Amino acid sequence: MALLELKSVSRHFGGVRAVDGLDLVIEPGQIFGLIGPNGSGKSTTVNLITGLFPLTSGSIVFQNEDLEKLPTHLRLQTGIARTFQNIRLFGQLTAWQNLWVAQNSPADWAKRGFFSRWLGGQSGVREEISQLLEFSGLAHRQDELAANLAFGEQRRLELARALATRPKLILLDEPAAGMNTEEIGQLRERILKIRAQGTTVLLVEHVMELVMGVTDRIAVLNFGQKIAEGTPVEVQADAAVRKAYLGGGE
Amino acid sequence: MDFYFGLAQIIGVHTLLGLSAYIVLLTGQVSMAQAGFFAVGAYAAGMLTVLAGWAILPALAASSLLGAAVACAVGFPALRVKGLMLVIATLAFGEAVRLFFFNFDYQVARGGVKLGPLGGEGFRQIRYFPENGWTTMQVMLFIWIFVVLVMAILWWLDRSRYGAVLRAVGEDELAAQSVGINLTAVKVSAMTIGGAIAGLGGGIYAHYTTHIEHASFGILLATFALAYPILGGLGSVFGTVVAAIFVQGFLVEGLRFLGDWRNLLFGALIVLAMNLRPKGFLDAPTLRWIRRVFGGKRGAA
Amino acid sequence: MLDFIQSLSDGVLFGATYALIGIGFTLVFGVMHKLNLSYAAASVGGAYCGLLVLKVFAGAPPLAVFFCAFLAGGLLGYIVYLACFHFIPISNPLATLMATVGMLLLVDEVIVHQTDGMPLNYPALFDDVMLRAGEFTLRGDLLMVFVVSILCMAGLLALLYRTRLGLATRAVSQQAVAAQLCGIRVGQVNAMTFVITGLLGGIAGAMIGASVGTLSPLLTTPLTIKGLIVTVIGGLGSIPGAIVAGLLVGGFESVLQQYRGVTERDLYVMLLLFVFLVFRPGGLFAPKEGRD
Repeated sequence: MALLELKSVSRHFGGVRAVDGLDLVIEPGQIFGLIGPNGSGKSTTVNLITGLFPLTSGSIVFQNEDLEKLPTHLRLQTGIARTFQNIRLFGQLTAWQNLWVAQNSPADWAKRGFFSRWLGGQSGVREEISQLLEFSGLAHRQDELAANLAFGEQRRLELARALATRPKLILLDEPAAGMNTEEIGQLRERILKIRAQGTTVLLVEHVMELVMGVTDRIAVLNFGQKIAEGTPVEVQADAAVRKAYLGGGE
Repeated sequence: MDFYFGLAQIIGVHTLLGLSAYIVLLTGQVSMAQAGFFAVGAYAAGMLTVLAGWAILPALAASSLLGAAVACAVGFPALRVKGLMLVIATLAFGEAVRLFFFNFDYQVARGGVKLGPLGGEGFRQIRYFPENGWTTMQVMLFIWIFVVLVMAILWWLDRSRYGAVLRAVGEDELAAQSVGINLTAVKVSAMTIGGAIAGLGGGIYAHYTTHIEHASFGILLATFALAYPILGGLGSVFGTVVAAIFVQGFLVEGLRFLGDWRNLLFGALIVLAMNLRPKGFLDAPTLRWIRRVFGGKRGAA
Repeated sequence: MLDFIQSLSDGVLFGATYALIGIGFTLVFGVMHKLNLSYAAASVGGAYCGLLVLKVFAGAPPLAVFFCAFLAGGLLGYIVYLACFHFIPISNPLATLMATVGMLLLVDEVIVHQTDGMPLNYPALFDDVMLRAGEFTLRGDLLMVFVVSILCMAGLLALLYRTRLGLATRAVSQQAVAAQLCGIRVGQVNAMTFVITGLLGGIAGAMIGASVGTLSPLLTTPLTIKGLIVTVIGGLGSIPGAIVAGLLVGGFESVLQQYRGVTERDLYVMLLLFVFLVFRPGGLFAPKEGRD
């Protein structure tokens, strides 16, 4: 049974068809890659799944539930978390607090009552957050303001913040942008660990060495439409994909 | 001495007004409606003690609740719009409240004297404190008990997860939504708490001045409400108090010898202060410096 | 019925001044994404400065007064820019907003201080002319106000759409960074926007003085609010929106004044604003939603 299913999803901005009749099926436990040239509709797809824009047509089903009527914050509570292409942290909060405010999952609700969830101090959740900071290699930076972190640290913190919401599906929007080879290697390890913990991953990425090395299945977008889908090997061999990436007159 | 007690009363009430704007500002919303909630609280508490014969504490509780209810009701439609549109919407709401009281007559005869709000004439004879023989000092202490209480509550809220969530919403609404924060609930709750504080402040104000009228609750008061937390800085509740003392104690009272020119200076000083310290008196580096110098606890606020 | 048409037409003619004020707010918002709350006060201030001409040359024609108000408005616009926008970092929108409020209070107090708070008479043109059609009349001075305002709007639109400066202004309002990369000096364009809106404001203030017959410092607050309401109803950043909304608000308040009296009138204008906020928060001419 599919975890997330997009059924002929379209989003038009005026005359621009940013996403046009897109079908996607993501199975639980997959690391699913979404690639395509700039402006092919990848980020828009992520924004549609998290509900930042309404759909022009089509439907999105997550765990057999139609997401259409759900506002963004409720979609998160069903288990969809994300990171942003252009990092969006709470800059004037500390790294620690960034993870703290993200604890909005139903699991957190079950664990803590209303008052301790909202009005409780930092002590009750110290351990959970320490683990996440440890996982992201930020434990030593926990009291630093997010705005003062280095670029790579901010990317890691954003990923940790998404994990703090205890997602079933995590959407990573170009997490490797601006990273060096070593950092990409660490990111790859982290993505694999996230999957090992049972979280499904949708990876939107430009950096081919990451996408090809880590994903189980890839869909390729161009001009808002899916032009190919398959395993990394199949996609690399696809003629239409080569044409979209390398150009070629039509 | 009574002069200083009176001044402390004014500063106390204005601190409450500033704190009511402070919590709303944390969520990044600039509300010019605080003077409106303040007016609602003032008229409500005044009518309860004068016309209904209530004691001061229940009347203040009621005015605070009413302020909260009105703020909550305004919050839902007004917070549909963002940023500068909200400034305009709340400005208009504040003016609408003022105009409402300008047109509001509700007089009842008590012992041969007609009491109650009378439109443009205002609402005179809110004499609960003098009738019960309170001295200026007692009234001042009464006011500051509330100020300290509200500050303690806000200081504590600021250190809770709720406080962090408020600031997160103020930083980046889109990111906040994306980590599962319900923006409407957070903003409306902050507005409601702000309304409760403003309603309380208004209720107290009505009783120490004994005479309220619509003109006192105009844009100038709404500006004061915003000016305190912005001048003081949003890093801590103490900034608001410092700013209220500075504005009411120094600018308004301290410069009285300048006569007419004082009012001119007030606007100019706001402009100057914002140019020199755009993040307020107690901005983050200053707060860190204070903590270092006084060796206080390491705080995350 | 005649009363209704009469007050509606008077209101719509007077509403042209609201439209000018609304344009000023909306233009600054469009270019800088900031709100200049001192704008209406500075406009009234400009109109007051126009009266200085009468002090120097007693018996100067009204047109000279208007022209002086026009220039003074532009100058005040530049001063507001320097005091509230130029030196405050962009990352501090609250500080800018607060500074403009400070400016509003300052201008207000300067006026009160200089005039002892008393209203001053303001000259008008054609105030003895009445166009009649049966019972229905058109006041000459209101007609003059309307025509002058419309001419100013036409001038502004020509400036925005026919000159290089206008092109630069529109470029900055759409993509400030990109405009900067194209060699446009954003700071200069911002300053020019303030001067232009200031000039418009000076005229608007003068026209209000001319149609009411007096100027008083009590004008600044209601004018600020009306201008803002016009901006919202028209759609933030939309000039045609501000024009239509200005005329609409003018007509609306005039009709309500006819039926509900002057003290209640403004309450209904606020109500109109709330109706718009709830049902059409983007205003009449909401800008199209973008991709990002």
